[in-house]
Amino acid sequence: MIAGDLYYLMLLLFSAGVVSVLFTRSNAKLTNYIAHSIALVGSITAILCAIFVFVQGKVDVVLPVALPFGPIGGSIDYLSAYFLLIVGVVGAATSIYAYGYSQEYYNCRLPLMAGLYNAFLLSMVLVFTVSHVVAFIIAWEAMSVISFFLVNHEYEKKVNTRAAYIYIVMTHLGTIFIITAFLLLAIGAGSMEFSQLKGSLVSETSRNIIFVCVLIGFGTKAGMVPLHIWLPRAHPAAPSHVSALMSGVMLKTAIYGMCRFFLEFLGTGPVWWGTLILVLAIITAVIGVLFAFIEHDIKRLLAYSSVENIGIILLGIGAGMVFMSTQQPVLAGVAFSAALYHVFNHALFKSVLFMGAGAVLQAAHTKNIEQLGGLIKKMPYTAVFFLVSSLAIAALPPLNGFISEWLTFQVLLFLPQALVGITGKVFSALLIALLGLTGALAAACFVGAFGIAFLAKPRSKQATEAIEAAPPMLVAMGILAGLCIVLGLWPRAMLTILSQTLMNFPGIDSMGLVSHDWYALASPTGQSDGGISTATIILLLLSGAIVAILLHSIFGKGKVAVGEVWTCGIVPNYHMEYTATGFSKSIRMVFKSIVHSHDETVVNANDNQYHGRKLFYHVRVRYLFDTALYRPINKAIIRTAHFMKSIQTGSVQLYVGYIMVVTVVILIWSTGW
Amino acid sequence: MNIVLSVIQALGVVLLAPLVAGVIKTVKARLQNRRGPKVFQVYFDLIKLLNKDSVMSTTVSWIFKITPFIYFASGIAAAALVPVVTNTSSGIGDVFTLIYLLALGRFFLVLASLDAGSAFGGMGGAREMFIAILVEPALLLSMMTVAFKAQTTNLGIMAIMVQSSPLSLAYVFAAIAFFIVLIAETGRIPVDNPDTHLELTMIHEGMTLEYSGRKLALIFWAAAVKQLIMILLFILLFLPGNVFDGAIDIVIKVLLVAMVIAIAETSTNKLRLFKVPDFLAVSCLLSLLALVAQ
Repeated sequence: MIAGDLYYLMLLLFSAGVVSVLFTRSNAKLTNYIAHSIALVGSITAILCAIFVFVQGKVDVVLPVALPFGPIGGSIDYLSAYFLLIVGVVGAATSIYAYGYSQEYYNCRLPLMAGLYNAFLLSMVLVFTVSHVVAFIIAWEAMSVISFFLVNHEYEKKVNTRAAYIYIVMTHLGTIFIITAFLLLAIGAGSMEFSQLKGSLVSETSRNIIFVCVLIGFGTKAGMVPLHIWLPRAHPAAPSHVSALMSGVMLKTAIYGMCRFFLEFLGTGPVWWGTLILVLAIITAVIGVLFAFIEHDIKRLLAYSSVENIGIILLGIGAGMVFMSTQQPVLAGVAFSAALYHVFNHALFKSVLFMGAGAVLQAAHTKNIEQLGGLIKKMPYTAVFFLVSSLAIAALPPLNGFISEWLTFQVLLFLPQALVGITGKVFSALLIALLGLTGALAAACFVGAFGIAFLAKPRSKQATEAIEAAPPMLVAMGILAGLCIVLGLWPRAMLTILSQTLMNFPGIDSMGLVSHDWYALASPTGQSDGGISTATIILLLLSGAIVAILLHSIFGKGKVAVGEVWTCGIVPNYHMEYTATGFSKSIRMVFKSIVHSHDETVVNANDNQYHGRKLFYHVRVRYLFDTALYRPINKAIIRTAHFMKSIQTGSVQLYVGYIMVVTVVILIWSTGW
Repeated sequence: MNIVLSVIQALGVVLLAPLVAGVIKTVKARLQNRRGPKVFQVYFDLIKLLNKDSVMSTTVSWIFKITPFIYFASGIAAAALVPVVTNTSSGIGDVFTLIYLLALGRFFLVLASLDAGSAFGGMGGAREMFIAILVEPALLLSMMTVAFKAQTTNLGIMAIMVQSSPLSLAYVFAAIAFFIVLIAETGRIPVDNPDTHLELTMIHEGMTLEYSGRKLALIFWAAAVKQLIMILLFILLFLPGNVFDGAIDIVIKVLLVAMVIAIAETSTNKLRLFKVPDFLAVSCLLSLLALVAQ
C-alpha cells in the first residue's frame, strides 16, 4: 500500500523536522531552511498520501507506539484524506512562505518556532487520521498546547501572553466536552475504537447529551459564537504563517470532528439538532463579519472573518443534518458538499490573506490599517494576491468562494422541503437574507481592508518605506491564490473529490452534483436548467470587457492628463483620505445594539484655540459577548474563589482535620449506617 | 446557442439602457414644469464623454484604471442573465449569479473611489457600501418570494411561472418590496439623488468624482444598464400576467415603470442616510408578508 508508506514517511518527516532544530539551532539561517524544507516535503507527502487514498481506497495503519491502552490505530478513510489534503496544500504553502517570513525571527527563538511549527503540522495530521479515542484526545491536546506555545511565541508583548492564556482556557473548556462526548459513546460501545462507536448503542437521552457536548466542544475550537472569544485574540498573536495554518486548518479540525460525529458515530438525529446548528451558524456568520468590519487590526479583522466563514460552513452542516433527519439523502449530500467545499475554499483564501497581512506587517511593521495606504505601488504582487483572495472571500464570481456560497444558497432554498409549513419557509427565507447580509458585509469589510491598506497615499512613514515581500512569500501566496481561481472555474474537480469523500456515509447521496459538464454546477434536485456555468460567466465577463474596451477606444485613444486630486486649493495629503473608522461608521451606528461603539473626540485644549489645535478621535467598542456573557462568569468564579478562601486558610492542622472528618464520614457510610 | 442569444440580449439591454434613463429624465422634467433635455440626450452625453480626454490623479493605481471596464463588464454579464428572451440564461446563471455579478462591479467601483485618496470619494464609497449591505437582504428576500414558489433560482423558469400565475395579494406585497429595493439599488430619491453634485448628499456621484472622459462614460453607461436590469427584473418577476403580446408588453411595462420612478422621485424628498435602514426594513417585512400570504 503506497498510501500507508507515504503516511509513515510523512509522520517521520514532521518528527525529523522537530528534531532537526536541535542540531541546527546555532545557525538561524540553516534552521530556517532545513526545518521548513522538511515541513514542505512532509506537506507534499501528505498531499500525495491523500491522493493515493482517493485512488486506492481506505488505508489502515498501526502506529508503532506502545502505550498502556494498546497500539494506536490509524485509519485514513476518504474524510480523513480530504482533510489531509487541506493540511498538505496549506502546509506546503506556509512552509514556502516561512523561508522568507522567518527572517523576522532570526533573533527571536527561531529554532523553537520552527520546531513547534513542524510539531503543529504533525499533531494536526494525527488528529485527522487516528482512529482511537485516547489517541485522538492526545493528538487534539498536543495540537492545542503546541498552538498555545506558538501564540505565545512573542511573549515579550503582554497582549500576546493574555491572548494565549484565554486561548488555552477556552480550548480546554472545549476539550472537557469532547472527552465527555467520547466517553459516553465509548461506554455504550464498550470499546475505544472509532469503528465500534455507534449512537444506536446508547440511549436517546445520552445521544442528545453527546450532541450538545460535541457542539460545545468542537464549537469552541471552531470559534462558534458565543464561544469564539479566544479566536480574534489568539490568531493575530501568532506569527503570520502560523496564523494562516490556525485559521486555514486548525479551525477545520473541529469541522472534521463534527463530521465524524454527525455522519458516522451518532447516526441520524432528530430535526432539532440540525435546526439548532442552523440558528447558531447564522448568528456566528453575522456577528463574525460585523466585528470584522469594524476592526482596524488587519490580523484581528481576518480572525473575525474566520468566525464568519465557520458560520457559513456550519450552515451547510446544519442544513445537511436537517435533510438527513427527514430522509432526503440527495439534498443532504449537497449540503455537506457545500460545507466541505467552503472548508477547502476558506483554507485557501484565508491563508493567502494571513500571509498577505504578514507580508504587510513585515514591510510596514504595523498591523493597524489606519497607518497603511498606498502599498499597491510598493508591494504590487502582494496586492494582487490579497485582492484575489478578498474577491474570493466576498463570494464574488468567478472565484471559488462564490461556488460554495452558491451551493449553500441552493441548499437553503430547498430547506422548506424538510422544514415544512409556513415557519419553515420564513425560517429559510430569513437564513438566505442573513447569508446575503453576511456576504455584503464581507464584501464591504474587504473593500475597506484592501482600499485603506493598499490604495491611496501612505498614511505613515513606515508605509512609505515599505518594500515588496521576499520571493518565497510571493510564491506561496501566488500558488494558493491561483488555486482560488482554479476552483472557481473548475468546480467539478472539487465536487468529484467531495462526492467520494461523502460516499460511504449513510443517509447521504452525493453523486448528484458531479454528473454534469466540467465547468457547470447542477441544481441540487438534478434539474439541468437550475444550475450555473462558471466558464460561461467568465466568457460573458470577458466579452463585456471587450465591448467596454471597444467603446473606450471608439473615438481614438484620447489624451490622459495627470494631475493632483482637487482638494479646494489645499495641497492634498493623507489626512484627507477616508479612514477605516470612517468607512465602517454608518454600520456601527445601525448595528449599535450589537457593537456598542463609543466615539470620543479629544481636543487638545492647551494649544491656541484658533489654530494648531490637535483633535484625537477614538472609537471604543464594547463587545457584546465579553460584557454580557464572559465578564459575569468571570466575576462569579472570582466570587466563588473568595468564598473558598475562607475554608482554605493554609493551615495544615485544619486540612488534617478536614481529611479526618471526611474519612470518618466515609467509614460510617460504608458500614451501611 | 443559449450563450449567443444571451449576448445579443445583453447588447440590446446595453443599447437601450440610456434611452430608459432619458425617458425618466424627460418625465421628471415635465412633472417639474420644465421642458427638460431631449429623450436621446443621454446618448449625446455619452458620445461627448467618449470623445473627451481625461484627467487622472497622480495618486491612483491600476485599480482605478481597470474599474470602468470591470464595472461595465459586470453590467453586461448581468444583463445577459435577465430572462427577457425567456430562458436564455438557463444553465448559465441564476438569481444569485446575477446579484453577485452586480456586487462584483460595485466592489471595484468602491475600491476605485478610495484609490484617488480624496475625502469625497471615500465618503461616497463608504455610503454606497452601507446601502449595499442593507439592500442585499431585502433584495434576496423579495427574490425568494418568487424562488420559493418556483422551487428554483433559474430566472427563466421563475419568469414563466410569474407570467402564468394570476395576480394575488402575495404579488402586490412582493412587488412593492422589490420596488423599494429597485429605488435603493439604482440610486434614486429617496435613497440617493442622481442629479446632485452637493458633496454632503451624493453617493454614486461621489464615487465617480475623480473620473472623466471615456472612463466616466463607461461608468455612466454601466449605471444605466444596471438600472434597466433592475426594471426588467421588476416587470418580469413581480408583475404577473400579460396585457399585450411578447415584446410590446415588455416595452410598455418598462416605460410605465420608468414613469412611476419619475413620479416617485418628484413627489418625495431624499431621506436622511440613517432613515434608509427603516425604508429597507419595510421592504423586508413586505417580502415576509408575501411569503406568508402565498
